[in-house]
Amino acid sequence: PLIPRPEQPIQAPLRSGDGDGDVPAVTFLLLRRPRSTNARTGSSYFSYVTSPISHAMDGQSRKHRILMVSDFFFPNFGGVESHIYYLSQCLLKLGHKVVVMTHAYGKRSGVRYVTGGLKVYYVPWRPFLMQNTLPTLFMTFPIIRTILIRERISVVHGHQAFSTLCHEALMHARTMGYKVVFTDHSLYGFADVGSIHMNKVLQFTLADIDQAICVSHTSKENTVLRSGISPDKVFMVPNAVDTAMFTPSSNRLSCDEIIIVVISRLVYRKGADLLVEVIPEVCRLFPKVRFIVGGDGPKRVRLEEMREKFSLQDRVEMLGAVPHAQVRSVLISGHIFLNSSLTEAFCIAILEAASCGLLTVSTRVGGVPEMT
Amino acid sequence: MKQKSQGISSGIYRYTHRCESGVNIHDIFVERSAFRVLFSYVGATCLLANVCRTLLSKESLCLGSFWSVPFSAIISKCLQYNPVKKESLVIMPAFGIQLEQHFWSGRVDRKFVPISKILQPVLNECVTPVTCYWSLALLLRDEDETMLVFQNLHPPVKLLLPIWKALCAFTNTGSISPS
Repeated sequence: PLIPRPEQPIQAPLRSGDGDGDVPAVTFLLLRRPRSTNARTGSSYFSYVTSPISHAMDGQSRKHRILMVSDFFFPNFGGVESHIYYLSQCLLKLGHKVVVMTHAYGKRSGVRYVTGGLKVYYVPWRPFLMQNTLPTLFMTFPIIRTILIRERISVVHGHQAFSTLCHEALMHARTMGYKVVFTDHSLYGFADVGSIHMNKVLQFTLADIDQAICVSHTSKENTVLRSGISPDKVFMVPNAVDTAMFTPSSNRLSCDEIIIVVISRLVYRKGADLLVEVIPEVCRLFPKVRFIVGGDGPKRVRLEEMREKFSLQDRVEMLGAVPHAQVRSVLISGHIFLNSSLTEAFCIAILEAASCGLLTVSTRVGGVPEMT
Repeated sequence: MKQKSQGISSGIYRYTHRCESGVNIHDIFVERSAFRVLFSYVGATCLLANVCRTLLSKESLCLGSFWSVPFSAIISKCLQYNPVKKESLVIMPAFGIQLEQHFWSGRVDRKFVPISKILQPVLNECVTPVTCYWSLALLLRDEDETMLVFQNLHPPVKLLLPIWKALCAFTNTGSISPS
């Protein structure tokens, strides 16, 4: 397989810049420490936090109690949500305790326990804009403090720069003296109003954090420039995909027709407009090519119009929204995977397609060149 | 008429357990807060003063004096303090349980739940926008809502644990024997 399974011990780069990207590790920050084995756990190779903090541990693998904070968690579906979930599961397997804090989704509010004993706090704050909690500077302080104390947390891990709950939690946790880690999942701009405001907030919140994690070198550059933190504090840990779930097809596909698969949200940011230009051109130049387009969004109408205009109904198949459980079955029906996003910190879709045995074609943006 | 008493206390709450003539009584006592009593008197005086001022100064009546009456009524309602002296849970084996609230004014509220109605006692974590606390509730048969055992108090989980264990033992013995 292209990507090693998570059970194998994997060495991740200590400092970003050492890694060459051909071993796209696992999603947690690993530090291989050849210390004495702990008979209880069986493997004391890994400590969650990085060397400056674990020096205090005297070579013994210490178990942490970690609070993951983000506005984005299940039942909302997306990259950040699955990242937090899989990361928490891996940490639980290593013996640490993980608690997730997010805002309430509709009627889902209160405490829930999910797989592996992961405790999720759905705090009843209303989301106000794109799944973000209303950014009151200090009103989330009581509940964050209560959760930190009652769960006896040792490390707070915030996800996604666009999440207001994450920023507030990091700020309050740092004020109270907890260790704080931040993971940035996306690239953001510098020029538009929303980005300017968010970068100001980021400079404030990230001024005092202990470590930051970015998913690619481009993302690290972007985060360091936006937030003004020192590059020594930023680690590069690429995302990973569950290879047990995305296995190639057992049957070989026939090569009479080349099938190109596109699965993405059909929005401007993911390059749906590029697809509209490219698909008729490719269909004209190569008569044996077919397209399968999965996903839904505001730009779907444009793709349908393109189909009508060039009479490509038999050559372009539109599947609509594809549930995550069926993504693999759609992927293995094709030869090539096409990703046309205009910006991407790290494209998990490409990894999933590669894991299923497809060839991948992508726009050369963001963190994508580092994946080859 | 055996009387056995064990106590745990934490903060303003104090837990005692007695066995009297076959029934188990679990009490949680609350200490009275002098400040809150004072504030409730202040609120009541405020309301009285506002009403008297509005009634007596007939010449200089304005919108402000008119609205001050309901405003001070709201303030005095908020400050109102009907202190709970203790909340009790009386377990009558094979019969049911009784929830009691004793107030400092001498009033007692009682509620009886037969054993056939109780499915299971649960310790819940309740999350509000500002805090998170433990509460003891009963799952009832044929009802959508759980019933809180302690309606007015939020005792810490250390005090709720022995009560929950006693209730579990009670419901288990109740479910084994035909009711």
